[in-house]
Amino acid sequence: MFASLSRRRVILLVVLTCVLLITLDKRGNPVIDRARGIFSTLIMRPVDTATNTIVLPLERAWDGIMNYDDLRKERDALYDQVQHMRGDDVKAQTAILEAQELLRVTELSSALGYTAVIAQVVGFSPSNFQSTVEINVGSSRGLKVGMPVTDGAGLIGRITKVFPDHSIVLLATDPSYAIAAQILATPEEAAKEAANAPRPTTPPSTSTTTTEPLPFDEPAVVTTTTSTIPPSTTTTIPQIIRETGALEGQGTGRPLVLRFTDSSSAVTSVREGAIVDTAGGNSSLAPHGIPIGIVTRVVTETGSSNAVVEVTLNARLDRLNFVSVLLYEPNQNAVGR
Amino acid sequence: MPRILFGPALRILPIGLLALSLQRLVFAQHPVNDVKLQFVLAVVVAAGAVGGPDRGAVVGFVLGLLYDLSGTTPLGLVALAYGLGGMTAGYVHTLVSEPQWWMGSVFAIFGAAVGELSVPFLGQMIGDSGWITPRLLVQIPTVAIAAGLMTPALMPICRWMVGVKRKKWKVMVE
Repeated sequence: MFASLSRRRVILLVVLTCVLLITLDKRGNPVIDRARGIFSTLIMRPVDTATNTIVLPLERAWDGIMNYDDLRKERDALYDQVQHMRGDDVKAQTAILEAQELLRVTELSSALGYTAVIAQVVGFSPSNFQSTVEINVGSSRGLKVGMPVTDGAGLIGRITKVFPDHSIVLLATDPSYAIAAQILATPEEAAKEAANAPRPTTPPSTSTTTTEPLPFDEPAVVTTTTSTIPPSTTTTIPQIIRETGALEGQGTGRPLVLRFTDSSSAVTSVREGAIVDTAGGNSSLAPHGIPIGIVTRVVTETGSSNAVVEVTLNARLDRLNFVSVLLYEPNQNAVGR
Repeated sequence: MPRILFGPALRILPIGLLALSLQRLVFAQHPVNDVKLQFVLAVVVAAGAVGGPDRGAVVGFVLGLLYDLSGTTPLGLVALAYGLGGMTAGYVHTLVSEPQWWMGSVFAIFGAAVGELSVPFLGQMIGDSGWITPRLLVQIPTVAIAAGLMTPALMPICRWMVGVKRKKWKVMVE
């Protein structure tokens, strides 16, 4: 190699070539840039791939031998960290769910227009025969016997016992529970009737917050924007009252039964899917308009004109957490019943 | 023609590419005391130790050029630095014609120190400032000693690479 050149000439040649190349490269020679690109992609990449194929297993084996204990410790630490992170994640998700639940509860109670106290369910009845829950607020927060209790979905029961710092809520499914309720038209029926109704010449005086007044000539029709659908929805559907009656619990896990004041018309007018809410009034335990549930079954009793209407609660009583107690003082005669 | 194809000049390329690849994949990823050991420089100084200053300079030039091409340093910078390193290591041949492995290692340490130190100084000369830091006091000895330790293992392959055979001494019997 370079046999014809003397040692000094070889070194001089190397130095001069380097200086030339540095000069060219510093001035931004495109040929050198292209050569660099070609070298990296076409030459070094395949060589690196081949070398990696050989070196990587050796490197891993070496790491396995030399760093086994460290890797084990690191793995254990990471595993521990993952467990903690999972716990934190669950905590965060729980907090979000609780916040959402709380929001739903407050939305409903504020929509009803009554002052409400938010409480958390802290205990369930140990008995198989009583449907009650214990909440963590009591008379110190203004709670009284008979006050209606709701969650985000609707009515769940009423206060039956009040202590200074906790209270007992009788759930709506309990056989001793009864409340005045009314059946509204199904949303489809209401929308249909609203569409067919003639436009008024003058707006009715009863409508206060209606975006579009939709009066009806029939006496049983009430028009209001205080809807029974969740407050987040903006649709305005008029409430058309079909029937009123007393809603009674039948025990845990069973639907509620509505007994009508005028049972003859129920068979023809009540449809499955109709909305049920509190009727209100002087003798009622709850104010008007608290959503209760929907009609899930209408059965005509054999040999009579009475109809049995089963109502399923909107609220999931087996998953209660946050509830809202409406500071509505019912008629004491009704409470005593 | 075959002499050119299979001669030492062409053996440098595959060895150089392999050394460069190992440098990028292994030595660059496993620094010792935050110093990346320079395997390519070790090959260069080993070649200088077995082949002499001129061969060391040429091997340093070629491998340095590959180094420059694969990185972002100005083309010729590392080539010049490694050329100087290879040449320095090769000066062991001015002391003895057939150096022992440990002598080769000692000169390789000097060569590697020169090669590694030349990079920041040459960079400073051409305007790439900021490479000369107190950290060089740790970096240069680490790289140089590592190259010196690797040299005995690299000598056989470098001997083949630059086309040098071990001298055989014969005793003349009268």
